[in-house]
Amino acid sequence: MILSESDLQAIWLTMRLAGTVTAILLLLGTPVAWWLARSRSWLKGPIGAVVALPLVLPPSVLGFYLLLAMGPNGPIGHLTGMLGLGNLPFTFWGLVLASVFYSFPFMVQPLQNAFEAIGERPLEVAATLGASRFDAFFTVVLPLSRRGFMNASILTFAHTVGEFGVVLMIGGNIPGVTRVASVQIYDHVEALEYSSAHSMAAVMLLFSFLVLLVLYARRSEYGKRG
Amino acid sequence: MGKGVEMNLTLNVQKNFPGFSLAADVSLTGERVGVFGPSGSGKTTLVGMMAGFLKPDVGEILIDGEVLFSSTKKINVRPEHRRIAMVFQQHSLFPHLNVRKNLLYGYNRCQAVYRSIPLDTLVAALQLEDLLDRDITTLSGGQQQRVSLGRAIMANPRLLLMDEPLSALDDKLRFQIIPYLKRVSSEFGIPYLFISHSLVEMRLMTETVLAFEKGIIVEQTSSEQLARNRMGSSQVGYINLLNLGPALDDGSMYSYPWGSAHLLLSSPSDRDHSIAELSSKDIMLFKQHPEAISARNLLECTVRSLFKSGRKIGVELDCAGNRLISEVVQDAVSELGIVPGSRVYAAIKASAFRILPG
Repeated sequence: MILSESDLQAIWLTMRLAGTVTAILLLLGTPVAWWLARSRSWLKGPIGAVVALPLVLPPSVLGFYLLLAMGPNGPIGHLTGMLGLGNLPFTFWGLVLASVFYSFPFMVQPLQNAFEAIGERPLEVAATLGASRFDAFFTVVLPLSRRGFMNASILTFAHTVGEFGVVLMIGGNIPGVTRVASVQIYDHVEALEYSSAHSMAAVMLLFSFLVLLVLYARRSEYGKRG
Repeated sequence: MGKGVEMNLTLNVQKNFPGFSLAADVSLTGERVGVFGPSGSGKTTLVGMMAGFLKPDVGEILIDGEVLFSSTKKINVRPEHRRIAMVFQQHSLFPHLNVRKNLLYGYNRCQAVYRSIPLDTLVAALQLEDLLDRDITTLSGGQQQRVSLGRAIMANPRLLLMDEPLSALDDKLRFQIIPYLKRVSSEFGIPYLFISHSLVEMRLMTETVLAFEKGIIVEQTSSEQLARNRMGSSQVGYINLLNLGPALDDGSMYSYPWGSAHLLLSSPSDRDHSIAELSSKDIMLFKQHPEAISARNLLECTVRSLFKSGRKIGVELDCAGNRLISEVVQDAVSELGIVPGSRVYAAIKASAFRILPG
């Protein structure tokens, strides 16, 4: 199995994209998941549905709307223009932003499940022992939901690695900038370079299998302890 | 040590849920206070409001003169600032922390001025020496409750709420834990509010009791008086608690010293001091010495007093310097001519006693 320099470049870019998106979603997804897990507001239903939308929406639809929003006449495009950041489509950060939307439920839903599983009691106990909500979140909730964080991070990372439709719509196919592994495979196939496509596809297959292996191994370990 | 610090509690609150309302208006001073009632009577709602987890619709809560909640003054002190710790029924220890770290969780968060209980003192009092570095998941139910109690004490609260802390434990553990729970006030000077639906636990743990029914306080009385008042309506009657000395095996029975008398029981105990339960329903009274009866214990007693409880009459007896309460119907009182000061014979079967595990 031989990977070309452009293959390696695409893999590196994919890892950079997935790592960046996972880090951003850990920061953004945690408060949203916490709110969804604890809130009794009527807004919980609509917001939960919006968060889950990328799970059912065709990537091309999401990509299309994001492309419009990030374009010079879209709200995001206006904002980035005003901030002097230029246009995001066909840039690495455009890909990051699109992937953040696309992978949002993969971060939020496992976290929400983990927070809901903890229940009220540990927080009540912490409060009666003098811990503020902030303190209790970091000293009780985070340690008790670390498995949820691990699962959410792995799923988000893996899902971002596997993106194709949204990436193609927003990023196009610029080597070293927006050409990620899935697009690279598509390119190889288009050029009838099946051997190279095999190599890249095998790497992706192995990666996906390892991710799932880690997830299921952890669940099985949890089951034995539980 | 016997520190005996009392709390001054003023509670005047209302809380409405769909299908259930709670209204409590009480002011009391006490060291060991009970909240008694069947499930669904409002005990947990009351505890939630005192701890700050539930906001009353209207009213006020004051402890030792400090307003914790007031709907008119728009005060609602957050739970972490109330200095009210809790011991829950179960599942309250932090599983990601070992015993030592659980014990120190509240201690590390309370102001330095309140850090007056050294860990070593607490560990010795609750006999946790061998558990300090243990993982929470490896502890038995009784050990977990001791750690939970210790953690609450270490936070040195002004009040400890014990919400049915014994109900998840089996009978043996229940009575093993009670002495530890009582040390909260006697050794560490922390007054407590003990919530339970058990009359026996109320007697063992509390002095003053607030009895709840359907969301309102129906009685504020002593735990002893509560047990007497509920004797007539309780299926188990009034539970006498007898302090017994070491058992002697006499072949077919076990003989226990009880004050200056001896009692024959069918159950053994290997302890020097045991507590036995005896229901008021299991004591039969005779006006004269019966000729021959199957009951193995026949005590000559003096009637101290009579009291009415529902349709039953409680007869408080002095039997060789020990107190017993029997229950009879009004007709029996008339036929036997039972009045304070009269002499009666109390017959008790050996199998009627139940040695409390411990």
